[in-house]
Amino acid sequence: MTTRDEIEDLIARVSLGDRKAFSALYEATSAKLFGVCLRILNNRAEAEETLQEAFVRIWQKSGSYAANGYSPMTWLITLTRNLAIDKLRTRKGRTFDIDEMYDLSDDKPGPEAQAIATSERAQIDACMAELEQEKATAVKSAYLEGYSYQELATRYDVPLNTMRTWLRRSLIKLKECLTR
Amino acid sequence: MTPQEDHSNDDALAGEYALHLLDAEERQAFEDRMVTDSRLLERVRDWDHHFAAMAESFTPVVPSSDIKVRIDDRLFGTAGDKPGSRWRWFTSFGLGATVALIAIIAVLSFVNPPPAEPAFTAQVAAEDASLVVVANYFPQTGRLQIDRLVGAAADGRALELWLIAEGASAPVSLGLLSADAVTALQVNSSLAPQIAGATLAISDEPSGGSPTGAPTGDVLAVGQVSEI
Repeated sequence: MTTRDEIEDLIARVSLGDRKAFSALYEATSAKLFGVCLRILNNRAEAEETLQEAFVRIWQKSGSYAANGYSPMTWLITLTRNLAIDKLRTRKGRTFDIDEMYDLSDDKPGPEAQAIATSERAQIDACMAELEQEKATAVKSAYLEGYSYQELATRYDVPLNTMRTWLRRSLIKLKECLTR
Repeated sequence: MTPQEDHSNDDALAGEYALHLLDAEERQAFEDRMVTDSRLLERVRDWDHHFAAMAESFTPVVPSSDIKVRIDDRLFGTAGDKPGSRWRWFTSFGLGATVALIAIIAVLSFVNPPPAEPAFTAQVAAEDASLVVVANYFPQTGRLQIDRLVGAAADGRALELWLIAEGASAPVSLGLLSADAVTALQVNSSLAPQIAGATLAISDEPSGGSPTGAPTGDVLAVGQVSEI
């Protein structure tokens, strides 16, 4: 298992052009990041493209990592997730079927995950639990499935503005809880 | 609006930004604010941190083994390298009234293992992200490595990279981007001190580069050089 410090060290070495460190970083994190791509895109070919793009960016942007204040896995996951969302949004006529949606309550941390984020995960879960269930699910869907406001409004069958008000209020509540 | 409301509003906005819920216009406006307001950046970072914890629950999946090979090919060009085939001369250019002509010889070659320690970096990107390149400058060798991540020159046209030094009145050509994803340019030693704090820009030029020594086509992308 690779610790946070080891991943941080690998990123620092990658920023110096160390290709061995880049390979080691890939070994340590690619399965996790590919899991993120697959989960968001639900399409293997697109997930593979996104994973490649993510590691190209990681190589390019590793020099700015030290200054950005992110923890290493947060940085890697956020970079990858954002690329996957971009990919999702470029799909034309993305269809949307409630039956095909993941059951978000099924998400449980795998053994690998626990090394990195046990306390963070517990915190966000606890604060999500303080929201009404459908609002918590809306926030999770936006993050985990990359739903837009329009898609969320369709799903919950409410006007777009209502959806936005809901979600913004939920975010403010969530933030209050997370900073408590 | 009271300061408390304002505070909450920015928290919500930062959350929407982190979730990619803002539309293109709102997103741009937020990014413009982030440039000058580091507290917004912190708010986004906080959200990213909390949300990433949710992604921890995703089942890891080992990607097929050829993915890493393809990444290495894209970054290091191990598949398409043809030594000695990409040497080209560049144009010379004027620097305005105060400086005589300086000639730059730009070496375009595929880059094999990148040498250590770039000291300066810049992301040069179009507003709509239709063209994105990352430039890294290695002061020990005077080498500027440019990785073109998104976009390419139009058919029969070339992309030319320009250095606009802090306070300078005119851009100086650094050379043309290669048709390959990675370009290595040798920066003339007289220009090296101007890299820090400079702006890089890419313009659309005729094949072979600007005939005048100044950009003649549209400026497609710009980016600020920052110290690593």
